[in-house]
Amino acid sequence: MHELLHHPAVQGGLVPFVVALIAAELLQRLRLSGLAVVLGFAATAYLVSGLPFDTLSASHKLVWLGLISPLVAISLGLLNAAWVRPLLAAAGGAAAIWMAEHILQHQVPAAVFLWSAGIALYVGWLVFWMDELQYSPVRAASAGLALGLGTGLAALFGASASLGLYGLSLGAAAGAYLLIQMMTNNRLPCGHSFTLPLSLIAGLIGCLAVLTARLPWYALIALAAIPPVARIPVSERSALWLQSVLLSAATLFCAAVAVYLTWRVAGMPPL
Amino acid sequence: MLKRNALAFLLAVSLPLAAHAGDSYTVDPAHTFPHFTINHLGFSTMHGRFDKTSGKITLDRAAKTGSVDIAIESASVSTGFAKRDEHLKSPDFFNAAEFPSITYKSSSMKFKGDAPVSVEGTLTLLGVSKPVTLTLTEFKCGDNPMSKKPECGAGATAQIKRSDFGMKFGLPGVGDDIKLEFEIEAYKD
Repeated sequence: MHELLHHPAVQGGLVPFVVALIAAELLQRLRLSGLAVVLGFAATAYLVSGLPFDTLSASHKLVWLGLISPLVAISLGLLNAAWVRPLLAAAGGAAAIWMAEHILQHQVPAAVFLWSAGIALYVGWLVFWMDELQYSPVRAASAGLALGLGTGLAALFGASASLGLYGLSLGAAAGAYLLIQMMTNNRLPCGHSFTLPLSLIAGLIGCLAVLTARLPWYALIALAAIPPVARIPVSERSALWLQSVLLSAATLFCAAVAVYLTWRVAGMPPL
Repeated sequence: MLKRNALAFLLAVSLPLAAHAGDSYTVDPAHTFPHFTINHLGFSTMHGRFDKTSGKITLDRAAKTGSVDIAIESASVSTGFAKRDEHLKSPDFFNAAEFPSITYKSSSMKFKGDAPVSVEGTLTLLGVSKPVTLTLTEFKCGDNPMSKKPECGAGATAQIKRSDFGMKFGLPGVGDDIKLEFEIEAYKD
């Protein structure tokens, strides 16, 4: 059992999938099924890196920000105000700069400015556009599946297995959340508690993989297209499995482009 | 008169201190390489090294004192396989973008006769500082026959657990125990 839990496929795929599957079902009555994705991620973070951490490195900040984000999401979800979305996007951008602070200190001033602006824009963009999907659980889950798998595989190809597993855990958890909807033909509760942790963690993983590994920055453009692509017109009256398949196909195409761009630069992942 | 006496006293005190400060040496990067060995999935022991090292060493063999201050460039890690080196530089292992330097600063040096045999100090890896003792396996000072410059050389070993420094990725498949081996040459300043 101990050896099984150390297998990357179990850590980044099976465990977050099962955790999210159970959490989405159990938390349905509380209308907090959206937390399934961050619980899946937390399980992977625990297995891959161990918690708590001795130091506050960028990847440790990433995990803490991801674990704290549902509290912010649930609190702000109660307000339901128009300014919440831009505020979350701005906070996401600030979180990206805080995460990368120690890495950016080693760069020249012009590069610090460019990287800070770039990573803040990327994370802010993802948070904003994923938040647009909070009332559409199937669209949000399809985007989450593609964003998680795309970010995870691209990070893995970019030579960081731990960041790769973090990303894949998001994809696996979002996949479990989507599967329940496909099987039952019922929409699960979504909201900020699904979209904020997912977009924030995926965004931070992408930034960190660019800054510390070999993920090319332009692969992030393909990943950034995923939430807007999840808004393509699909008949809301059709069966949820059909909506899921169509939306997943469209968003996974963007993810595949990001992985392909990374593979062109970095080659196969290290074994 | 009082001023002159004070000056004489300061001179009398500082002269022996200066003599005991010892000779200063600058690390020769062409002949200084930290190596490491680590178990890989229980099948074999992998070897790696860092190609860029700098630092200063002071040594006073008469007073049996000295110091070591070494900085290793973490991005210079080399195992003979580029893809693995990329992975070792990533946040999974040495996290070179965030922690570009691995440092070792001594706190004391033990001697046997006039030769140092071990160094107590602090190794800082991934921003975590832990005490590490270097055991010297060889030591020699003299004039380099090629450059004719005075220099000292040494070999040293140490053992650490990477998890103590927060490097936990791949455990337990990729071993926790790391054996460190240093060969160091330093020219007298």
